[in-house]
Amino acid sequence: MLPVTVANGRIDGGVPFPGAGRFAGLLRPSTFILAACVLVALWFVAVPVSALFYNAFTEDTGFGPGAFSLDNFVEAYSSWQILGLFRNSFVFAAGTALTTFVLGGLVSWAVERTDAPGAALFHSLALLSFAIPGLLMAMAWIFVFSPNIGWANKLIQNAFHLQAAPVSIYTMGGMIWALSSHYFPLAYLALGPALRVLDVRMEEAGVVSGARDWQVLAKITLPLLRPAILSAMLLLFVLGMSSYEVPRLIGRPARIDVFTTDIQSAIIQTPPEFGVASALALSLLAICIVAVFFYRRATRHAEAFATITGKGYMPTRIKLGRWRWPVAILVGAMFALALGLPLLTLIWQSFFRNLALPFMGSDAPFTLENYRFVLSYPIFVSAVRTSVLLAAMAATIIAGLTLVMAWVALRSLPRYGWILDAIAFTPIAIPGVIVGAGILVAYLMLPIPVYNTIWILLIAYVTLYLPYGMRFASSGISQVHRELEEVAEVAGARLGQVFLRVLLPLLLPVLLAGWIYVFVLSVRELGASIFLVGPGTHVLGTITLTMWEEGGSYGAVAALGVIQIIPLIAIVAGLRWLELRVERRQQAARTE
Amino acid sequence: MLSVENLHKSFQASGGAEVRAVDGVGLSIPGGRLLTLLGPSGCGKTTTLRCIAGLERPDSGRIVIGDQTVFDSARRIFVPPSDRGIGMVFQSYAIWPHMSVFENVAFPLRVARNRRYLAAEIRDKVARALEMVRLGGFERRSATQLSGGQQQRLALARGLVHEPRILLLDEPLSNLDAKLREQMRFELKHLQRTLRITTVYVTHDQSEALALSDEVAVFNSGRIAQRGAPQEIYSHPASRFVADFIGSANFFPGTVSREADGDGMVEVATAHGTFRCRFADKVLAGAQVVVTARPEDLMLYLTPPPDGANALSGTIAGRVFLGDVIDYIVSIGEAELRIRARPEHDFRVRQSVHIGVAPQKCVGLPT
Repeated sequence: MLPVTVANGRIDGGVPFPGAGRFAGLLRPSTFILAACVLVALWFVAVPVSALFYNAFTEDTGFGPGAFSLDNFVEAYSSWQILGLFRNSFVFAAGTALTTFVLGGLVSWAVERTDAPGAALFHSLALLSFAIPGLLMAMAWIFVFSPNIGWANKLIQNAFHLQAAPVSIYTMGGMIWALSSHYFPLAYLALGPALRVLDVRMEEAGVVSGARDWQVLAKITLPLLRPAILSAMLLLFVLGMSSYEVPRLIGRPARIDVFTTDIQSAIIQTPPEFGVASALALSLLAICIVAVFFYRRATRHAEAFATITGKGYMPTRIKLGRWRWPVAILVGAMFALALGLPLLTLIWQSFFRNLALPFMGSDAPFTLENYRFVLSYPIFVSAVRTSVLLAAMAATIIAGLTLVMAWVALRSLPRYGWILDAIAFTPIAIPGVIVGAGILVAYLMLPIPVYNTIWILLIAYVTLYLPYGMRFASSGISQVHRELEEVAEVAGARLGQVFLRVLLPLLLPVLLAGWIYVFVLSVRELGASIFLVGPGTHVLGTITLTMWEEGGSYGAVAALGVIQIIPLIAIVAGLRWLELRVERRQQAARTE
Repeated sequence: MLSVENLHKSFQASGGAEVRAVDGVGLSIPGGRLLTLLGPSGCGKTTTLRCIAGLERPDSGRIVIGDQTVFDSARRIFVPPSDRGIGMVFQSYAIWPHMSVFENVAFPLRVARNRRYLAAEIRDKVARALEMVRLGGFERRSATQLSGGQQQRLALARGLVHEPRILLLDEPLSNLDAKLREQMRFELKHLQRTLRITTVYVTHDQSEALALSDEVAVFNSGRIAQRGAPQEIYSHPASRFVADFIGSANFFPGTVSREADGDGMVEVATAHGTFRCRFADKVLAGAQVVVTARPEDLMLYLTPPPDGANALSGTIAGRVFLGDVIDYIVSIGEAELRIRARPEHDFRVRQSVHIGVAPQKCVGLPT
């Protein structure tokens, strides 16, 4: 806020950017805060990316980067394998975007546009899906559809007396399905709001102009939704490109390599090929940045579309009549198949020591031995402690940092705010694997002794989830009317007091929601952690992966998964409760 | 041209209660006329319009457009809105933001079912429709670049381009600012008269209704309270609701003390003296009635009013200067009157005044 001066008995607000006071204006405290924010955010975002660039374009000596060289690119891109890598990554990401769009589109249509029952339940289920770590989803689908151990395959084989397993998860289709079943709720969450705010008058105007229903759908509804559809697909494409868990667990045994797994393989080689990994990472980064660029353009147009819907808006839902229940059951079945089935499999398996087939008679004894084993396993206990501690620290740092950044961007210096916004949003385009690899190579070169400590993981998590924190903080601040701060200033409060006594209490629910969101994401994280854990710093994701690949019993791995999922689901349920409270408060404020 | 018979439509309100939005509405207008459905929000006027358009399916009743029965609950007829040959302008305009101005207007022609329009024909018709609403030359613009008033005119062009049998307008001017609204009101009236298109116009603004309509139907909680020409409704309100909703009115409750004399004047004894007034129907002595008088029909005097007028006296309690007129609040005992006067003679607050009103200007209503 600008200083208010009283002169000649008149109260004059300061002019935002007066020509004469240009330099005086730049010396205000908020300018320093802005500069500090930009530096901190830049440090987190720019250091790993520039380290990748540096390593990609220099000679890999084995003792750090050497002279300028393009050898890494030659080595990374000269074999025919690279074509397969591009193709696999594209097919996997595009397939995921398409599948999630179809499934998520159906859910959002049923929930937002029809009177099918269960809308609130489906919405909550969609949010809960976010509590499940991707690694465990991939594991669970292997338990279901692996040609060797998958129970669904056994079931079908027995029923139809087949020799070979009918379905294999170890295919491109299996990979796409495993990721889509986890991410389709995200497609719903991205498409739902667009369907909700779509003004039905737009469609009615088409109908009274003489258009048939399919003409309205093709010429009005779909074009109006195009920005939302496009942005949802691009977002899921980027998530597919960035996905590490499914390619690692399912793609690698199937010899279907994508960028994320190939980058990781290059780094774990002896000696590690940092240069080649960096050169590969730049391609992945470029693809994601281009996609995110178009994503932002699409969402910007979405806002332009939304603003011209006028008053008199009355949501009219399609009355399905006798199709109400069939539609609800179809959507429910989708959730059951995509999320219920893998979860149930995991829970079932966790009660048996050896491979167990749900829904089939088994003479193996039901046991709690797996849980007893996992809970008394020292590495697991220390990983829980590390993960929770790290996630809490990352969430706290992000909440504080993004609160200040969003405030500076929106309120204090709105003219330069976009710089902060852009920096904070950039990591959305940087896959976890790249953040991990980038931080690894960066801090091997920098004289900051964080390697092999939990601090290097903390840096990675803060970088990765900065955009999410920023989104929560910006939307929170833009919903607090500026006059609430101004009246405190007029009443004599200083900047710090306005912040602590007005802004913070008003924003607390939103900040808490953002905190929980980042906490859950950090606990789930694997793609970056895989590069950064050391012998003494295991996190949940990495020990689960180790146990899976290096032969824990099936039961113990499943129990390890269930122990992670249950508290996460409880936390996300808490987040949902908090969001409902915020929504209710906003509605109350709007109707006043 | 359009007739609506005994229309009923109920909604399930949140909480399960049944709301009778439209409760036995009957309407008819000859071709080329403009009918206004006027009433406060929630009175059923918009629901009636949406039933005529086919966007709502009535529970029962009959709707005929031209010679086509588009809805008849008894014969189970329901013609979908796309086949009713109507044009409609929404309150929010519902201009499609993904289409240019040209494409917005061309849409009804492109989806037309009775015939295929050639590209040249479409170009020609769209140009004429845009010319009509003074948007000629805007064809290539994106619809989102238009101002509120231009969007409103664009919506009108889209509603007229396919030469519909009737034009339905749902509060088309309510999103415009006051000056623009007045200007558009004249343009709309001029356009409707020129094209002689049968029009149903929904509004909650009484001055809009009076200015535009050939006929006004005043709605009150799902029913039609009164139908008639604007003049007639203004000067002969049939109920206290209509008198109050159209313009504003002062009310004097009382008892009929003498039945109609040779001039048709009835005498009513009120707390403020005896009033002579007109009644639409015959009333008997002793009936409980209310006498209404419009603020602009009450005259302020320094001396008692001339003979023959209904006379009152009171004190000025407040005044608001509005430029061409002054609004006074005058206390008469316990009650207060609203009086609108020309500013030639200025009365001050707390000044004692005499009030007179011609018996012809007083309308008696049964309570």
